[in-house]
Amino acid sequence: MMITTAALIRDTFREAFARKIFWGLFALSTLMILFFLFILKIDVVEGAIATVTLFGRPAGPRGGVDVDRLVRNVYGGIATFLYTWGMALSVFASAGLIPSVLEPGRIELLLSKPVSRLHILLGRFLGNVAVVACNVAYLVLGIWTIFGVKTGVWGPQFLWAIATTVFIFAVLLTVVVLVGVVFESAALATMVTIALGLVSPILAQTTTMVRLLSSELARDVWRALYHALPKVYDLGRLTLDLVRREPAGDLTPVFSSALFGAAALSLALYIFSRRDF
Amino acid sequence: MQSEQAIVASNLTKVYRSRWTGREVRAIDGVSLAVPRGAAYGLLGPNGAGKTTFVKCLLSAVHPTAGAAYVFGRNTADPAARQPIGYLPENHRFPTYFTGEGLLDFYAALSGLPAAERKRRIPRLLDLVGLEQWGRVRIGKYSKGMLQRLGLAQALIHSPQLLVLDEPTDGVDPVGRRHIRDILRQLESQGVTIFINSHLLAEVELFCDEVAILRKGKLVLTGAVRELVAGKGYRLTASGVTERLYDELRARAAAAASRDGYVDFQFTTRQQVNAAVDALRAEDCEIEAIVPTASTLEEVFVQAVEGASEERPEAARA
Repeated sequence: MMITTAALIRDTFREAFARKIFWGLFALSTLMILFFLFILKIDVVEGAIATVTLFGRPAGPRGGVDVDRLVRNVYGGIATFLYTWGMALSVFASAGLIPSVLEPGRIELLLSKPVSRLHILLGRFLGNVAVVACNVAYLVLGIWTIFGVKTGVWGPQFLWAIATTVFIFAVLLTVVVLVGVVFESAALATMVTIALGLVSPILAQTTTMVRLLSSELARDVWRALYHALPKVYDLGRLTLDLVRREPAGDLTPVFSSALFGAAALSLALYIFSRRDF
Repeated sequence: MQSEQAIVASNLTKVYRSRWTGREVRAIDGVSLAVPRGAAYGLLGPNGAGKTTFVKCLLSAVHPTAGAAYVFGRNTADPAARQPIGYLPENHRFPTYFTGEGLLDFYAALSGLPAAERKRRIPRLLDLVGLEQWGRVRIGKYSKGMLQRLGLAQALIHSPQLLVLDEPTDGVDPVGRRHIRDILRQLESQGVTIFINSHLLAEVELFCDEVAILRKGKLVLTGAVRELVAGKGYRLTASGVTERLYDELRARAAAAASRDGYVDFQFTTRQQVNAAVDALRAEDCEIEAIVPTASTLEEVFVQAVEGASEERPEAARA
């Protein structure tokens, strides 16, 4: 069991890196790390920012700005960037990894091995999550270390960004897997998943929309969609609160998104187990 | 693993239904056959006969609509039943990011081989198929013949007891073909059962002990190659044959098959076929056809396939 799971995860890593797009993600992360390492210079005097220089020129707050506050704000900015663009790029990069396994000539060979279909798909899913988790961890840990060394402030709350980003990626990946298994189309999987991410901030305005909508049915549909679909926006807000060390709000979006992910993955597994190849 | 039969297909049927029109295609239709342990067995048939679907049912890549397939006594729907199977698919598409060694390592791991065992076996297998110099080269640079040999190594990596090969010499040059045949002979002598699905009748005739011929999803003939091609003979088709008489005539025939209430016997001499006719008529069985058969597997194949389409249109429709 462990040998086959490890083999499936290793295979996903191999394929991910054979696709240049994953090197692109790592290159982008490295660029960001190098940016903070070499370009941004922060002088701290007695717990306050003396100067912040960017490309050697003074930038940002001058004198008397609390280091801790600045670092928290920077963490928030990076976490938001990572959560939105990093997520979109990761979904885009991952979308081909499921349909590629289902290609004729490849899937038959996999199915001929003494491995259950459930195991094959879960191994691929875990491998994909692991690849993105490595990239996110690399970026977050890199920036966290640089800021820690440059400012002397080691805010562990920034590391929450790894957990929340990987979590919501895993939830969205279940949609990629489901669409991939049903339609074998990387493009469609990307479109559906990105659409879910885009629609999330709109659906999250439930209180306002319930007031604005005239029909009770429309209000119910809105509420149902909000509760059923993954709460990318709410979890983004939660991430921001966590990395800024502000009180985290309601944790329901975590559980409902996890439930959505479990349901989508279960459906994908069921369809995969029933399909003929 | 104690079963005397390596493969048993019992009334195996696969019907594909169009999602939109509801139209049905019976890819394989009530196929029952048994492949003895240690045999070299060929599955033949024209394009669209259902050979690949049959193989996919064996490997559980396709779920049968009815019936079941067993490998060494275990239903192939159980993943563990596929442990003793080594499979080389037709038109395989190995991921090109692998090296030869990497690919063998991956598929060996999927078969549950521990790392130390994989490390030991991979160079031996590459050497066996003549790719010892190519193990660390990405397979995107391999020729078609080399990919086929690597595919064979992949199928053998976990020492399978049953090899299922779909067009194993496809794209391989004559020397390579002979090499593959030699490897298969060696495996056969070690007791490995070899099940080949191929269009290359001469290849099958050279290698296989027994064959089955499919046409439009139905089994039209099974028998020992040596007896089928022993010389000109006769195929007798009858209906209403009791099980006892079928077994009796089967013992005298070179080959026999039964389907849809009809039975086919392949006899090598006129005396044998006359005796069979006498036995059948004595029990009021109907003689449906007596067809002269030819001496090469290709001729046997053509007659079996064309004969099946000409003789019993009502059976084909059933």
